[in-house]
Amino acid sequence: MSLPTSALGAGEPASPRGVGGAAGDVEAFGVGGEASRAGGSGGGIRGAGPDGSGGLAGTLGRGSGGAGRGLGARGPGARGFVGRRFGGLGALGALGVPQWIALGFLVLLVVAAVVPWLLAPGDPLAIAPAEAFRPPGWGHPFGTDESGRDIYTRVVHGTGASLVIGVAATAIGVALALVLGVAAALGGRVVDFGVSRFLEVLFAFPGLLLALLVITVYGPGIVTSTIAVGLATAPGYARIIRAQTRSVASSAYVEAAVVLGRSRGRILGRHILPNAIAPVFVLVTLGVGQAIVWAAALSYLGLGAEPPAAEWGAMLFAGKNYVATAWWMTFFPGLAIVLSAAAATVLGRALQRRGPR
Amino acid sequence: MPLRRHSGPPRPAILRSLAALGAAALLLAGCAAGPAATTATPASGGTLTYATGFGEPTCLDPHVGGNMPQALVGTNFVESLFSQDADGTIVPWLATSGTPSADGLSWDIALRDDVTFTDGTPFDAAAVKANVEHMQDPATASSTAILALGKVTEVQVVDPTTARFVLSEPDSALLESLAQTWLAMESPTALQRTQEENCESPVGTGPFVVSSWTKQDNITLVRNDDYNSPPAGSAHEGPAYLDEIVWRFIPDSATRFAALQSGQVDVIDEMQPDNVVAAESSDQLDVLTGALPGASIRLELNAGYAPFDDEKVRKAFIASADVNPGIESLFFGTVDRSYSVLSSGTPFGASYPDDFAIDPDRANQLLDEAGWTGRDADGYRTKDGQRLTVDFPISTNQSIPAEQSLFEQIQATTKEVGFDVELHPLDLSSWYAALGAWDFGVTSAIYTKNSPDVLRILYHSSNIIPAPSGYHPNNAHVSIPELDADLTEAGQTTDADQREALYADAQKILSDGAYVLPLYDHLQKIGYGPRVQGLSLLPTLQIPTFYDAWVQQ
Amino acid sequence: MRLVGAVFVLWAAATLTFFGLRLIPGDPAQAILGGPGSQASAEALAQVRAEYGLDQPIGVQYVAQLGRLATGDLGTSYSLKSPVADIIGSQIGGTLLLAALALLVAWVIALGLAVWSTRGGRVAAAVGSTLEIVAAAVPHFWLATVLVLIFSTALRWFPAVSTAGPEGLVLPVLTLALPLAGFLGQVMRESVLNALEAPFTLSARARGESETGVRWRHVLRHGALPGVALSGWAFGWLISGAVVVETVFARPGLGRTLLNAVQLRDVPLVVGVVLVVALGYVLMTLATDAATRLVDPRARFS
Repeated sequence: MSLPTSALGAGEPASPRGVGGAAGDVEAFGVGGEASRAGGSGGGIRGAGPDGSGGLAGTLGRGSGGAGRGLGARGPGARGFVGRRFGGLGALGALGVPQWIALGFLVLLVVAAVVPWLLAPGDPLAIAPAEAFRPPGWGHPFGTDESGRDIYTRVVHGTGASLVIGVAATAIGVALALVLGVAAALGGRVVDFGVSRFLEVLFAFPGLLLALLVITVYGPGIVTSTIAVGLATAPGYARIIRAQTRSVASSAYVEAAVVLGRSRGRILGRHILPNAIAPVFVLVTLGVGQAIVWAAALSYLGLGAEPPAAEWGAMLFAGKNYVATAWWMTFFPGLAIVLSAAAATVLGRALQRRGPR
Repeated sequence: MPLRRHSGPPRPAILRSLAALGAAALLLAGCAAGPAATTATPASGGTLTYATGFGEPTCLDPHVGGNMPQALVGTNFVESLFSQDADGTIVPWLATSGTPSADGLSWDIALRDDVTFTDGTPFDAAAVKANVEHMQDPATASSTAILALGKVTEVQVVDPTTARFVLSEPDSALLESLAQTWLAMESPTALQRTQEENCESPVGTGPFVVSSWTKQDNITLVRNDDYNSPPAGSAHEGPAYLDEIVWRFIPDSATRFAALQSGQVDVIDEMQPDNVVAAESSDQLDVLTGALPGASIRLELNAGYAPFDDEKVRKAFIASADVNPGIESLFFGTVDRSYSVLSSGTPFGASYPDDFAIDPDRANQLLDEAGWTGRDADGYRTKDGQRLTVDFPISTNQSIPAEQSLFEQIQATTKEVGFDVELHPLDLSSWYAALGAWDFGVTSAIYTKNSPDVLRILYHSSNIIPAPSGYHPNNAHVSIPELDADLTEAGQTTDADQREALYADAQKILSDGAYVLPLYDHLQKIGYGPRVQGLSLLPTLQIPTFYDAWVQQ
Repeated sequence: MRLVGAVFVLWAAATLTFFGLRLIPGDPAQAILGGPGSQASAEALAQVRAEYGLDQPIGVQYVAQLGRLATGDLGTSYSLKSPVADIIGSQIGGTLLLAALALLVAWVIALGLAVWSTRGGRVAAAVGSTLEIVAAAVPHFWLATVLVLIFSTALRWFPAVSTAGPEGLVLPVLTLALPLAGFLGQVMRESVLNALEAPFTLSARARGESETGVRWRHVLRHGALPGVALSGWAFGWLISGAVVVETVFARPGLGRTLLNAVQLRDVPLVVGVVLVVALGYVLMTLATDAATRLVDPRARFS
């Protein structure tokens, strides 16, 4: 269940520029979007690199040798890149209609997550056995479930749990990846070898089994399934961070910082980390959507949130038994998952496409 | 490729199901849907496909372990010494009679002399002895049979058609135990093979023979052409009609029902309540139901540990757990509320509805008296800073989805008086581990046994002590000397009036102490398609029998 | 070097699984003796522990298991009591067929959508893009239920559970293929777009090659590249998906075996399946590297 970054396979070190470019298209797709755009549109980077075809994307994937120079040569521009990305609200101006819709939907989700009673004043856990299995209609726009609970209310109130799972799982994955990736990139040959092999093992391990094991050991629930999904996504991010960190560390401005006698911690904190994480932030938006879907899959296998939580995956799990008689029980939570994941993807791609200028 | 096996224009099943749902309210009033009346004469031949939701056995020999999946498939190829009729009365099968000695310490079982196992080994008293020894051998790893034979010290071969069961103490449930599929007779020749081989293809005297077992896919059973030992109540004699039964494993209940609707399989079990209603209102499908004998579906309150070690807290829980509306809506009228620990298919069941009246005021009062007077921010009661939390591990293998929804409703109604019921759906291994560690406040466990002696297994204080595996049947942690005395005596006497009085007293003790909240009968729900005729349930364990079944070609 | 890496991956996967399963509550001896809830006697449990070496310290058990694995002996399943190699042998075919067909179908859909939506103007591009994003966001378990409801229960075109014939494969394959096609489609379309603007396309057009020729010979080749490279990842994804799909459609296979084995605490069987899947991943990675060289002329000169 790792994200597509795992496609990178057992990456060959140092590849000639041509292959670096070709692989870049693939690998940059990485965490769910098509980062090839990041490579393609990263005109500034590409131009700066000595190998006109490499680009950011290629660097991310293989991350060493020739391709690494592409980024390295970019030099001091890197910090500005970070600053612009997070500082520039002007980015919104470039959004198209689909992106605006997606953004609107995500804003709605956040509202539902933070102040659900604004959208659905009812109690998501209030049972009313006499009103069970009502189809969508007046009073119950999404119908009611087997205990007469209002599905619209449950979907709205479930947003928080599902978003938290998606965001937290991705955060866990990225945090773990950061430790592994940076350690591998800066920790010397032995550490790099160990971490890289470890990541390879995680790739080869069926992600669902990893999740199954974690959940059977620590018991089902929102927390465990979040951790399980986070663990399963970590290797993909780790590989990107490792590659990125290596290239940043070997860049001219870091060398300059070393020459200037800056402390190791300062260099790591001020120069290397911010630039190593930057591309990951874009991929994270894509990862959140997939994390929601995977957490729902765990719920479907009965390994997710415990009842009566109004979590989308758990609602699907409960509804699947009545799919022939009460389709609305699975349709609306399913729709919520699909739309959220899709909206996150659309926005993530838009961010990627803008890329560093 | 279209898959049309039904004659006539196929109707969209979605519409049909929705219509069925709409009609559910009407059906609540009671729908007497019997099997489709047929006047056609049975025809030999054909293959029937059965899809089970109970899971795949790990061993086909029902002596090994001993669970429902094994009994379901095993009934087709092994047979028991006794059977039961619809009233629960013991009737002969492979045995012709059973006679106890005056002191009740031995039983002479007379056997049929004309039955042969499908491998050619004759069925005789030596075979009975070999079977009992096989069940009691630790290497067999029996759990159900060995418990049922707990009072049997040995079997003596008096003559080829008489086996004498020697007991350590009188056992009024012996013949009932012997009627269970888990104590069925297998060929002693076949039993001498390795356990692996015997698990793959046990050899019995049944109307079908195990032909092949493709793991995780199907078991194929073929007809035994020399069959001559049908149980009492069968509609015909001689070999079965069907050439072959294909036994499939379809864990997903929605898929299972879809397969039945599309005609891909002929018979399914473990039907969900909404599917039962849909099938009953369909002119293509029919349903067979029967109450499984043994304990009813019930909640057991762990009286050995806090908070349910306090009778007042138990009574408050029961007075606030409002289950009737949920049983009506979740089960679409397919089950009735039960107020008895014993299933309606078990003799000597006693009901005490007044002990289970819903009364939130009284529940609040009881909790106040028990010292749970505080309330925390979430509205749950507290005592000395501790929240009134009740852990509820749920076996996702044993509790069907509608039941799990009912537990959610219990969680919601008991919350109103301040209980914090935490539901934990667990896989079977984790669930047994939680029970073994007494790590629960309340749970629901199935126990199927065709005798009121199930009360002794479930509520005798000696069954608090766990087996080496950690398993203990007495989940409510009931330890009452008077109850123990009642159950022991009832398990020894064969006097029906005395048994009835003792079991009634025992059930009153349980009811008064609020150890158990009975919910409804555990139902066997078998759905079958339009090709299938002559299907019925064997009363002993309410297991479908295919001996009289045939398919329209 | 490759071989050493592969062996390391297999070793680590086996080790991780072995110790992971020991953390799970539940006694392996009980798993052998009829599974959870069995009332196995103390003697029987002791006998089994001795027989399977479960009374040894965990380190000794681990070394013993590793020794057996090194000689190619996957051991005997606790729950099914037959050799793990036999069980996997009987289950792997169905899963591989399912995964291979799903991959193929996903490929065809993704490539077709990519090529169509990049030549059909703005509307086609928007439709293609939307389809891909939505498909990639659909949880496959939900898709499975919806497909059964439509094509099996209502229309009766395809069976709801697996059959011996090919018609039983349609719904499971579609369930796995559609979300995968969404992923692949996103990458491939991007790649096709890049290729359409690439210098080599320009020069091909300049040479007077027909538009169709350009698309088939150059653009498609470029568009397929990421799909090829992603296939290694897709393999792992499909195996995880097979757990769900095989359960819903009652298909025999490795996914269902794995789920059951974990729930029954069947250590040898879980370790065996994990090893086979890890091996499959390693082989798939090697194969995609080779395929990349085949499709990408630039790679051949490396």
